[in-house]
Amino acid sequence: MTLNDRLLGIAALIFAALITALGYDLVPPFSYEPVGPRAFPLLLALIIAICGVSLIIKGGGEVEANPPGANKRIMAMVGYLAAYAFLFQWLGFIVATTLMVTFVGRLFQATWLQAFIGGVVMSVGFFYLFDKGLDVVLPSGIIFGGLL
Amino acid sequence: MSDILGYLSIGFGVAFSATNLLVAAIGSFLGTIVGVLPGLGPINGVAMLVPIAFAMQLPPETALILLAAVYVGAEYGGRITSILINVPGEAAAVMTTFDGYPLARQGLANVALSLSAWASFVGSTIAICGIVLLAPLLADWALAFGPAEYFVLMVFAFCALTSLLGDEPVKGILAAMIGLFIATVGVDANSGVYRYTFDLPNLADGIDFVVVVIGLFAVAEMLQMLESLLSGTSIEVPKSDRKLFNFKELMFTWWTVVRGGVTGFAIGVLPGAGASVASAVAYANEKKYTEARDPEAKFGKGDLRGLAAPESANNSAATGSFIPMLTLGVPGSGTTAVMMGALTLYNITPGPVLFEAQPQIVWGLIASLFVANVMLLLMNVPMVRLFASMLSIPPRLLVPGILAISFIGVYAINATRFDLLMVVGIGVIGYFLRKMNVPMAPMVLGVVLGDMMEQNLRRALSITNGELGILYESPVSKGLWIAAILVAFVPPLLRRIAKKKAITPSN
Repeated sequence: MTLNDRLLGIAALIFAALITALGYDLVPPFSYEPVGPRAFPLLLALIIAICGVSLIIKGGGEVEANPPGANKRIMAMVGYLAAYAFLFQWLGFIVATTLMVTFVGRLFQATWLQAFIGGVVMSVGFFYLFDKGLDVVLPSGIIFGGLL
Repeated sequence: MSDILGYLSIGFGVAFSATNLLVAAIGSFLGTIVGVLPGLGPINGVAMLVPIAFAMQLPPETALILLAAVYVGAEYGGRITSILINVPGEAAAVMTTFDGYPLARQGLANVALSLSAWASFVGSTIAICGIVLLAPLLADWALAFGPAEYFVLMVFAFCALTSLLGDEPVKGILAAMIGLFIATVGVDANSGVYRYTFDLPNLADGIDFVVVVIGLFAVAEMLQMLESLLSGTSIEVPKSDRKLFNFKELMFTWWTVVRGGVTGFAIGVLPGAGASVASAVAYANEKKYTEARDPEAKFGKGDLRGLAAPESANNSAATGSFIPMLTLGVPGSGTTAVMMGALTLYNITPGPVLFEAQPQIVWGLIASLFVANVMLLLMNVPMVRLFASMLSIPPRLLVPGILAISFIGVYAINATRFDLLMVVGIGVIGYFLRKMNVPMAPMVLGVVLGDMMEQNLRRALSITNGELGILYESPVSKGLWIAAILVAFVPPLLRRIAKKKAITPSN
């Protein structure tokens, strides 16, 4: 299946329906203004729905498929990033970033050694630059928690 | 006039403080690098630096100076790869390849690089003078705006941005609406009702603007980079030829540069049409103008004027695009929208009131634009080789590096895992939207303006107790509605006519 405008239109319609369904009950217990909190989102949902319908009617806009192997790489990167986001605080910046740089580097055809060295150097360098140098506080995590 | 001089002296006082000079230099340097790297443009650079500047607790004017220097620097940097390897470093530098690359092939790379840096400098300077003269007038005019006028002004900004940006206005509108919706998430300030928070405490304050822009402009962008595996390229800046353009070349291109700068400024001030439109228009105009007068013109084959016009125009437009944000509080481009978002982190709302209340921010920024420009001119001539060498950073380090810096920035805002996960989610959605040609700039504008737009609409309707007439009765709002309708329909119509002309052969 390839992406096209009709698909985008359908997604827009679903989105508009969700906004409407979840926004319909947004009525304050008491109100002193003529336009309450739900009017604006519902107006947006209406316009999104109109855009969706016009995209479905017009059709076209086939998106060229990605070159072979790209989808797999992209999915892998999404997975790595989700893991990075999840472990960032818990493992601490240095460990989590070393892992992320290593794995993402592998996606860009680095050897394991190259990727790992890159990860260690970058994570330690950024930690000192941002946390120690620029006062942007980063998590030190469970491993280095007491040391840094 | 004496007012302006007074404000300018305040501005230069701010710009010449040691911190701000340092920050402007760093910003110019980083911006040039961002401009050199293909795939990264001013908006990505600015988006990544917003949270870091905030976390470093830079005062607002200093943060704004940093971001502005990055923006202008990126417009300088984009030309380097255009000239040396025929690859525009960012969108507005496409026109620079037409004559810049042929010049480099003729052994005039250094002349082309230095002359284009000069053209960029003159273009920006023209635009800064334009800001100084025009901005106070506009701000004065906008002081009289009520909530209804503001609402219509924002409608106009969206119309302009979606209609001028691409040839698929429906997708532009869709993007703007999604952006506006993202801004509605969180507790409603007027009624205390929780909207679309799914009972998650992390969403009670809404989705942070930084989370959205980093998702859209760092994560989604990096996912797109995975589609085709490019390797780092190393390029040589030829050493043999002259380092600098000579006086004859300067005079030869002088009026071209001035014309490009004025065109760029006029286009940059309009919401929506940013630096890329400006450079395209300036190149086309200059080509038409020159070829009618000079039979020796060789546009497309290495004419210095074809290089100078777009470079002057894109810098001038980038600088000019500060006007709508500073004077009206309604940014006209994606990049200035991100900057306005940065100011809202400091609880500062740009607009006519800011001009009066906090002149050190507005005029400090204007003066710093000038300072950054001088620095960029000085950096860009001798350091071209250093900037070009940035291209040899392989993607295996560049991509994770950008991701790590992005995560640092997002974490710095609220220090929650929730935000980091949301960045990844928004990045994935943004990737799909990009694939389907949905423009990102209207979405950013939506996120930044959403709250203000809704509040002004509700305030206006509160005044009349729900009567819709207030939205179009005053002369200013009538004029703005007409302008909005014109800008929404005329450019697509013109494009259609131009397409038809291109199909039917003209005699």
